Amino acid sequence: MAAAPKTNTEPSYRDIDRSVLRVMEPAGRAYWAWVGFCFTLVGIAAGFWAHQIYSGLGVTGLRQPVMWAIYITNFVFWVGIAHSGTLISAILFLFRTKWRTAVYRAAETMTIFAVATAGLFPLIHLGRVWFFYWLLPYPNERYLQPDFRSPLVWDAFAVSTYLTISALFWTMGLIPDIANAREAATGWRKTFYTVLAMGWQGTDRQWRHYSMAYLLMAGLATPLVLSVHSVVSWDFAMAINPGWHSTIFAPYFVAGAIFSGVAMVITLLIPMRKLLGIEDLLTEWHFDNLAKVVLLTSLVVSYAYITEAFMTWYAGDPIEQTTFHMRYFGPWGWMYWVMVLCNCVIPLLLFSPRIRVNLRALWVITIFVNIGMWFERFVIIAGSLTANFEPSQWASYRPSLTEIMITVGSFAWFLGLFSLFSRFLPIISMTELKEGIVWLRKALKRDRVRAAA
Amino acid sequence: MSTNLQMARRERAVMKPQPVESVAGTTMRAVAGAMIVIGAIAFGLALMRGGAAIAWEAYLVNLLFFLGVAQGAVVASAAFYLTQAKWGGSTPYRLGEAFAPFLWVGFFLFFGLYFGRSLIFPWVTHPIPQKAAWLNIPFLFARDGIGLGVIAAASFAFIRVSRGDDAQAWTIATDDIELPPHSIRFWAPLVAVLFAVVYTLISFDLVMSLAPVWRSTLFGWYFFAGAFWSGLTAMALVATVMRGRLGDHNLFTNPTVMHDFGKMVFAFSVFWIYLMFAQYIVIWYGDLPVETFFIVQRVHHMPWSPLSVACLVLIWMIPFVVLMSVRTKKSPAILGTVSALGLIGIWLERYVLVIPSLSLDAIPFGPTQFLISIGFVGAFLICAVPGLNRVAQAATSGEPVGDDAE
Amino acid sequence: MSTIAIISSFADDAQCAHAIEELRAAKVGDFNTFSPIPSHRIEHAIGLKKSPVRWIVLMGGISGVLTGLAITIGTTYEWRLNAGGKPLLSWPPFIIICFELMVLLGGIFGFLGVLGLSGIPAAEIAPGYDGRFGEDRFGVVVRCDEDEAARVESIMKDSGAEEVMREGV
Repeated sequence: MAAAPKTNTEPSYRDIDRSVLRVMEPAGRAYWAWVGFCFTLVGIAAGFWAHQIYSGLGVTGLRQPVMWAIYITNFVFWVGIAHSGTLISAILFLFRTKWRTAVYRAAETMTIFAVATAGLFPLIHLGRVWFFYWLLPYPNERYLQPDFRSPLVWDAFAVSTYLTISALFWTMGLIPDIANAREAATGWRKTFYTVLAMGWQGTDRQWRHYSMAYLLMAGLATPLVLSVHSVVSWDFAMAINPGWHSTIFAPYFVAGAIFSGVAMVITLLIPMRKLLGIEDLLTEWHFDNLAKVVLLTSLVVSYAYITEAFMTWYAGDPIEQTTFHMRYFGPWGWMYWVMVLCNCVIPLLLFSPRIRVNLRALWVITIFVNIGMWFERFVIIAGSLTANFEPSQWASYRPSLTEIMITVGSFAWFLGLFSLFSRFLPIISMTELKEGIVWLRKALKRDRVRAAA
Repeated sequence: MSTNLQMARRERAVMKPQPVESVAGTTMRAVAGAMIVIGAIAFGLALMRGGAAIAWEAYLVNLLFFLGVAQGAVVASAAFYLTQAKWGGSTPYRLGEAFAPFLWVGFFLFFGLYFGRSLIFPWVTHPIPQKAAWLNIPFLFARDGIGLGVIAAASFAFIRVSRGDDAQAWTIATDDIELPPHSIRFWAPLVAVLFAVVYTLISFDLVMSLAPVWRSTLFGWYFFAGAFWSGLTAMALVATVMRGRLGDHNLFTNPTVMHDFGKMVFAFSVFWIYLMFAQYIVIWYGDLPVETFFIVQRVHHMPWSPLSVACLVLIWMIPFVVLMSVRTKKSPAILGTVSALGLIGIWLERYVLVIPSLSLDAIPFGPTQFLISIGFVGAFLICAVPGLNRVAQAATSGEPVGDDAE
Repeated sequence: MSTIAIISSFADDAQCAHAIEELRAAKVGDFNTFSPIPSHRIEHAIGLKKSPVRWIVLMGGISGVLTGLAITIGTTYEWRLNAGGKPLLSWPPFIIICFELMVLLGGIFGFLGVLGLSGIPAAEIAPGYDGRFGEDRFGVVVRCDEDEAARVESIMKDSGAEEVMREGV
């Protein structure tokens, strides 16, 4: 069975296990150097945060009226990245989409670490972080509870529910796979996986409850994922601030979240597939379909941009028109046009089936999408605050070193956690790939036919 | 081209059904023709006897509703191609395309609104100079007319290739991952994109502009999501009705196919309430008079508030509660009833969106509006007869169905 | 007479399901299966009813909504504070809290429910389990009287079992 897997278009169950479990063998020096590099950056960022806690928010660039800027942008960005994971693992599961099996574990893992990263930012943005628990339904000394009419409280509920449910859903999917790893592992890893697998054996009784619960969890996660980014968007849309108060915000933010998230999945999977040697499990067919999701959501986001511009013009409110004029042609206008280029124009290339399976081109396009979506959040959040009702209060904003380093640290934190995961837990679901093995075989054959042509 | 597809194509060529004209079709044409005559007479009488305003109101509401159903169903067929749906062979595609001829009828009826313009658009009698660049009659009829014409033409081009042998072979090649034929890959996304654009325009021009001060960025999306859902429920309704009339071995007797229709009706009903809520909460929280009055008129103002509640019950609550269980989704009687109520709900929703802007204090529904609506039903049905015959043929052809069901 | 276990392994789930049907028709002993994937064929062959875990999820969802209503309404009435001119009972925001708690508790109940019903965490491995059953083989373990063993073995072999072994219990 030592045949070269690259030409094997008829993989068996055993081949799948072998390919996935090979990734989990002890890693080399380059890997640990990379992980070490990531966590060094995290350490530096933590130092900056400690400094900020000690000296107060004055070390950031936040000044009236721009009190929400890079930290909140990062928060929305990372929550958005998270959404693709639930889309792929839950929504596409309900749609019985065949190509999701190979990519969903990686995407779902991304969800968890992205929410974990996002969750840090409301804390980082707090002047007195030790009072974070005031957001929880917990009365203060005078028995005043949090106000449930405040969107920030909805956010605390939505994001913590999202983190919990995604983690449970992810754990459920992992259990049978870890049981597999348990059989193959030796030494301390065997103990590690034995504990994590919790005695899973794949009996009919276990599968029966498992399948039903998995379906129900997917059913719960689907409306949840819509609600989470909607609630995040309502942090802004509830205010009557021009540029924020818009009914389209909820579905538009959800589409944008899936857009950036799937782009991030592609950005991560393309190098990973090479580095981890899983080319025979992630085929062109998978990337083709992921790219289509990016294209669809790009169109939705463009629709929202156009509708907002039209409605501002149509409604004729002078203050709103001024805010939008500043957004398009003001000092930060270049950011808006960068975002239009990255989010609306460049993804149109994905209409070409050839570009969708050209992994180099796809990788570059998704990087642009990530940049564009970060700018989109920044333009909406900070940009709308610079030019508001009172022209006498107009001001600009310049990020400080602290904010920049913490932002860099958040990327390192995310990548570091993801890299750790990818070598210790199965990065591709063996169980589900086996269930849909006929489709994997067809995809591999299709790839080979194309390569030959 | 994979071998599966070639095999499917050969099979297809062998069992291609001969066109048959059903007896039911002839009866339906006669009944529908009578309904059209009744509607036209009621409309004419109303115009002559000073009831022009209520006649044009009914005309607009029905036009919006039936265009939405016909176009929503075609878009469902396009969406099936885009998601490579093979759960029912070619039948769901035929079902989505069945109502399409009404698109041209609706296109011509749209221009009829020109004669009722001063009774329909408040900004014709009370011009708003700031918005005159957008809200003026020539531009409105030009842009919406072109939009409806282009999407009708694109839908027909799409349907032509969808009924072609290549596309049909693809729909029944159940264990294949190949993309649909080239021509489909051009027309299906185009129809879907045009749907979003044109129906957003229609909603802004024919609904939002009736309350010219009001605006909501989500309104277009909300409107075409409702239209899409009404298309799906019409398809589910036809499926449940045909099930009992096509003999023992038609596709609709397959419980998993019924289950799939039920799931779609359930899912997009939930999506509709999501958009509804997303729009409502922003306006409720912002509490700006320029936005809230539209909601207040419909939700808190008699006589409209019970109707708004009824929309909520028919479009969301009943489908949500009833179709939650697998058993009810698979039951044709229950799914059919829920779909029929849902269609009534969307009609009512269109009514509640349009009429209070024109006649706030009383519901103008009476014999005139009822009979005009009957006329529209007739026009819709007569358009659907040839398409429904094709559905019947496809459903009884015994072609293979994807085994990924359940 | 003593009870013994007969462990057979199959290369695909159709054969395994067939063996189970035969076994049920012959009414010998009780059995359980191991499989690397959840197989509908095997489930149908065993004739399992739908898992009750859906009722547990429903209970979780309902208790989530009730918790949501309790904390939003309760805390509002505990200190009637006018915030932003909004009504005391502001349903739209409360719906959001109730929805999130419905999903949260529904999910947690479902997760714990599936663990409880399927007997994990389990310290002991069921008799007959083999690592191959997690990889690519479908296993059936039949516990029956010794004198019926031959019959069971022949059912298994006729259905296409690759391997049939006896083990004392």
